[in-house]
Amino acid sequence: MTSRRRPSWLDIAAVVAVVGALVFAMTSPRVEAQGDSARMLFIHVPTIWLAYLAFAVTFIASIAYLVTKKLNWDLIAGSSAEIGVVFTTVAIIGGMIWGKATWNVYWTWDARLTLTAIMLFVYIGYLALRRAIPDPEARARRSSVLGILGLVQLIPVHFSVTWWRTLHQTNTFRPRDIQMDGPILAALLISVAAFTVVYVALLRHRYELAQLDLAAHEAAAATEGPVAGDAVSAPSIGSSGA
Amino acid sequence: MIRRYWKFLLPASVLLGILVILMINLSSNLVYFHTPTELYTEVAPSSDRLRLGGQVVAGTVEESGEMLVLTVTDGREALPVEHTGVIPQLFAEGQGVIVEGTWDGETFRSDTMLIRHDEQYRTEDNQIYDSVDHQLEES
Repeated sequence: MTSRRRPSWLDIAAVVAVVGALVFAMTSPRVEAQGDSARMLFIHVPTIWLAYLAFAVTFIASIAYLVTKKLNWDLIAGSSAEIGVVFTTVAIIGGMIWGKATWNVYWTWDARLTLTAIMLFVYIGYLALRRAIPDPEARARRSSVLGILGLVQLIPVHFSVTWWRTLHQTNTFRPRDIQMDGPILAALLISVAAFTVVYVALLRHRYELAQLDLAAHEAAAATEGPVAGDAVSAPSIGSSGA
Repeated sequence: MIRRYWKFLLPASVLLGILVILMINLSSNLVYFHTPTELYTEVAPSSDRLRLGGQVVAGTVEESGEMLVLTVTDGREALPVEHTGVIPQLFAEGQGVIVEGTWDGETFRSDTMLIRHDEQYRTEDNQIYDSVDHQLEES
């Protein structure tokens, strides 16, 4: 094992991208209706996009595990869900700060906010399920079911603002009709791209860690196995057989 | 074959069932606020607290003592509101607001006001990216 590795090009790219996106976010023109509080946009939208992306990757990796039965797919599913939970939390906290500045409340039980909170708790449940099952094969099999079913809720989360009347504004990105001025849109897309690089870098590190975890588990199982067996076979010395 | 998949199908159908029941039951509760038209036609006046949402009609905002008097519209009906309480920073004529309180059939008395801003991100020269399409829609 290498002890202390230098940061990879991907890590450096992630940091550079975020710093660059921050410059665009802070220098983009002011949003006419909201003023500077609308700069929360450049955190709020990319983080919830990452949550969607991360849970979609969990969904795909869970299917891939069930089809191929290769544990590596399950490790990707678990790693991605963990990142998704973190970024859902950041999106909610960022949204609360933004909400206080514009709506005048941190939190309220409208459809978008409630369903997003439920989504967060379902995926926290997914992570809890993974921790509850020590055997890698059983863990992969059971959590992949939840990893697949969990994605369904992204549809009501995303369309809640269209389906029901909410405090949260409706979707700005409508097919072929984007309700945003060009310079703000450009800064937002740069921010989304930068956060996506961060996601890829984080996923790679978490996946490598998960592989090490699995290897450690298998090594422990290989050495512990005979020890437990010895304890069982020990009484047979006294008896006639074996 | 069925034995292989029941582990998947059972939780899937239970979850789907819960989701459908939730959707049906919540579809009325998930409406965060009522429009002025709904208050006039569907919602009976009572002492129950509810939320009213709409745009502040320009020229109707008046301060009288502790009270803020304004009219809120959904484009069809306009409803007078008497608000006592905090006035949010973004409050303005033409702004979308949601007020919380009671309705007696004539006036809505609120003590809580929220701002409901729209989904448009215009710069100060008042443009949106797809402004050509938008003008076509309006004309």
